[in-house]
Amino acid sequence: MTSALEIRNLKKSFGSLEVLRDVSLNAQQGEVICIIGTSGSGKSTFLRCINLLETPDSGEVLVKGELIKMKRNKNGKLNPIDQNQVDRIRSKLSMVFQDFNLWSHMTILQNVIEAPIYVQKVEKKEAIQNGLSLLEKVGIVEKASQYPSSLSGGQQQRAAIARALAMKPDVLLFDEPTSSLDPELVSEVLKVMKSLAEEGRTMIIVTHEMGFAKEVSSKTIFLDEGRIEEEGKPNDIFNRPKSRRLKQFLAANL
Amino acid sequence: MELELLALGDNGWGDEMLRATLVTLMVSLSAMGIGLFISIFGTISKLSKKKYVRILADTYTTVIRGIPELLVIYLLFFGGSNAVMGLAKLFGYYGYIELNAFVIGSFAVGAISGAYSTEVMRGAFLSVPIGQIDAAKSVGMSKLLIFIRITAPQVLRYALPGLGNVWQLTLKDTALIMVTGLVEIMRQAHVASGSTYSPFTFYVAAAFLYLILTTFSNRIFNRLESWGNRGVRRE
Repeated sequence: MTSALEIRNLKKSFGSLEVLRDVSLNAQQGEVICIIGTSGSGKSTFLRCINLLETPDSGEVLVKGELIKMKRNKNGKLNPIDQNQVDRIRSKLSMVFQDFNLWSHMTILQNVIEAPIYVQKVEKKEAIQNGLSLLEKVGIVEKASQYPSSLSGGQQQRAAIARALAMKPDVLLFDEPTSSLDPELVSEVLKVMKSLAEEGRTMIIVTHEMGFAKEVSSKTIFLDEGRIEEEGKPNDIFNRPKSRRLKQFLAANL
Repeated sequence: MELELLALGDNGWGDEMLRATLVTLMVSLSAMGIGLFISIFGTISKLSKKKYVRILADTYTTVIRGIPELLVIYLLFFGGSNAVMGLAKLFGYYGYIELNAFVIGSFAVGAISGAYSTEVMRGAFLSVPIGQIDAAKSVGMSKLLIFIRITAPQVLRYALPGLGNVWQLTLKDTALIMVTGLVEIMRQAHVASGSTYSPFTFYVAAAFLYLILTTFSNRIFNRLESWGNRGVRRE
């Protein structure tokens, strides 16, 4: 069976700083992979390389077996060959950001139906119907006609999740979705994410919520200094860490 | 003050002053339009990755904003005539050519207005949070779609208050093009006070006419602003 998402040998530097040194990942359909690690370990950069918000220096990204075609230009930088392919694949890899990034000039419902209508050319009526049921699902349907600025952080993040789901994505990417939230708002977002995991959605989650990672993930990856230091079943990672670095990390974060 | 001088019809200057007001409004509108058009390219250039394009745009805004506006108008007015006459000479015409005062006035004030609009637009562009652009990319929106649906509406909103200021400035700068002979409010007041020996009456009238124009347009901008700011909460 082809993987929902496969990343091969990703490398990325910012100037002389090597952020990712040969990171690979394979996500089967329905897998929930949590990526943990210290700040600066390259977690977010890795996620942003998957949908090419950052262009990797080398490596391959395959979505449902389809390789994103890239070539090296004159100064050695990797560049996508076909921007249309990138746009199409991105629409199948929805991303949820740390800072929600809702479009502030649109209402919550408009945020959710924007891409289905303008990118996927879904009928407006259908998009609205689907959008409202997604807002219902994340529990903020009564906020549909309000603007993002009048919502709490937790509500905004749930709206952002609805926006991501509206694309009917193959894979959901979460970039520290609860790190900007007040502590009391974290659980409402985690609850929504947990229910998505139970539905069998393929999810890649960068997170600092160790309890959540332990409970929900089917595989946990510990990223350290741009390398996968350790990966495996959450039970092994959290209860039987092998490497010294992971032991240190867990001691500081549990 | 002799108000009968401001009567409409043959005995007073009222109708002439009103016509001049219309000219002022028309010049202001076309200058603002030219300025906005310039500012689109100015903004794109200022945010360009190419260094020489940025330098070109910086030179434009620095020069225009750094010398007196009256001087800009003189330079463009006489420079413009010279350029056109030089061009005519190439085709064997050696007479004096005077440029249409309305057109050259609009371009001169438009050049000034454009320099200020460019700065306003540049600031507005940089105010659109980069994360919202990332979000648009992440759902597969093309560059064009991102500009139309995400960037442009927000740039407009952030730019409106600043553009309101530029409009006021543009409107008042049109007074300077009286030196080109175009009969707008200032020129008309000047002519009328010269032939009636009642300068104060006409300059007070001119002041009122400008105030009416600026107050009225200010209201329109306030309306636009509150419409543009729907969804924005002041923190």
